[in-house]
Amino acid sequence: MNTLGDLERAVLEHLWAVGAPVSATQLRDSFADRGLALTTVHTVLSRLEQKGFVDHDDARPRQFRARGSREEHVAELMHEVLGQAGDRQAALARFVGSVGDDEVRMLRELLAGAGDDAAAR
Amino acid sequence: MLPATALALGLLAALLAWPVPAALSRASWPQRDPLAALVCWQAIGLAGGLSIIGALLTHGLAPWGHSLPEAWWHWVTRQPPEEPVRGDHWVAQTLAAVLAVELLGVLLLSLLRTARTRRRHRALLELVVQPAAAGEDTRLLDHPAPVAFCIPGARPLLVLSSGMVAELDVAQVDAVVAHERAHLTEHHHLLLLPFVAWRAALPVLPAADRAHDAVRDLVEMRADDVALGSLTGPDRRRTLAAAIVAVAAGAGGQLPDGALAVIGGAVAVRVRRLLAPAAPLPVAARVVALACALALLLVPTLLLVLPALV
Repeated sequence: MNTLGDLERAVLEHLWAVGAPVSATQLRDSFADRGLALTTVHTVLSRLEQKGFVDHDDARPRQFRARGSREEHVAELMHEVLGQAGDRQAALARFVGSVGDDEVRMLRELLAGAGDDAAAR
Repeated sequence: MLPATALALGLLAALLAWPVPAALSRASWPQRDPLAALVCWQAIGLAGGLSIIGALLTHGLAPWGHSLPEAWWHWVTRQPPEEPVRGDHWVAQTLAAVLAVELLGVLLLSLLRTARTRRRHRALLELVVQPAAAGEDTRLLDHPAPVAFCIPGARPLLVLSSGMVAELDVAQVDAVVAHERAHLTEHHHLLLLPFVAWRAALPVLPAADRAHDAVRDLVEMRADDVALGSLTGPDRRRTLAAAIVAVAAGAGGQLPDGALAVIGGAVAVRVRRLLAPAAPLPVAARVVALACALALLLVPTLLLVLPALV
């Protein structure tokens, strides 16, 4: 499928794999099997750039490269998810919020205690 | 008529700003019926805002007429006041305007900000992570900590970490997914949003803090209840409780001890009510709670409009 979302993912994966600046025409040639027009490649690149995943330099022709690795993006997201505060709490619903070590110990005792009760009955 | 109305609204606002939220957040029945309690909190928030702004407006516009709709119309059409306008009338008008703009403005700002954060998170997840086998709206994130969350919105996303799948058994992961799906289908983010906004708007009001925390904990309990309804298996309550403890333990230790009130924290309350459930609230009590919520909304509305009709 050639939806924009799929293309964005494919182009970003490609940029990550190459690891070096790539021009739009090179990208089009790399994706020859998908039969992309150069304008489509530019659309995908500018969308990725808007979202902050791709950078370009001022060389002629323009060279594009990925901003940050996949691991860096995941780490950044997890940092926000785990350390969420204030407004962020409204942005996503996390299964269990952050708790301290003391509370973890108490939770384990709660669960173990309930298990003993069930076994005693 | 107007001064009595302003006085009554002011009294209601004072009750809703302090004793009512304090009593509700201390009460134990909300744990037995989180949904009815959530309705009550929404009513408290709405009625509180309505009565304080209504009280200020009614007093501020008193020289222009005998009821708020009439006085408002005279004021808008720039008719001369029927009685002399004193300084306190101007102060009340200004305060009403400032409060209304602040409450609605912060709500709007909060709405935009969370929408932007969600859009960014969704874009990142859609680009960085392949859709999981479980469904088009589920993503498996490669991360060792056991974490699950959902991003609400028109195109919701449910995210599990690889650590979650590795540490929990299949039944527990099902319980986690059912809990997160309950948040999405019941739009819990919309119930929480006004309280996030008003806590930011009214940092001096302890009730705003209290209301936010209560609503945040109640939607979790409600999601637990809904999840239990959709789970099968011999001991669903224990499975969900074990999943909560496992996730809390796996992701724990990021907070310095003492950063949260430790004993009786929100997570412990959830685990306790799963392991040793109290009897559900009787139907009559639930009806009373919902009737109180309705009355809370009707009283300020009627106080504002009724003088115009009699």
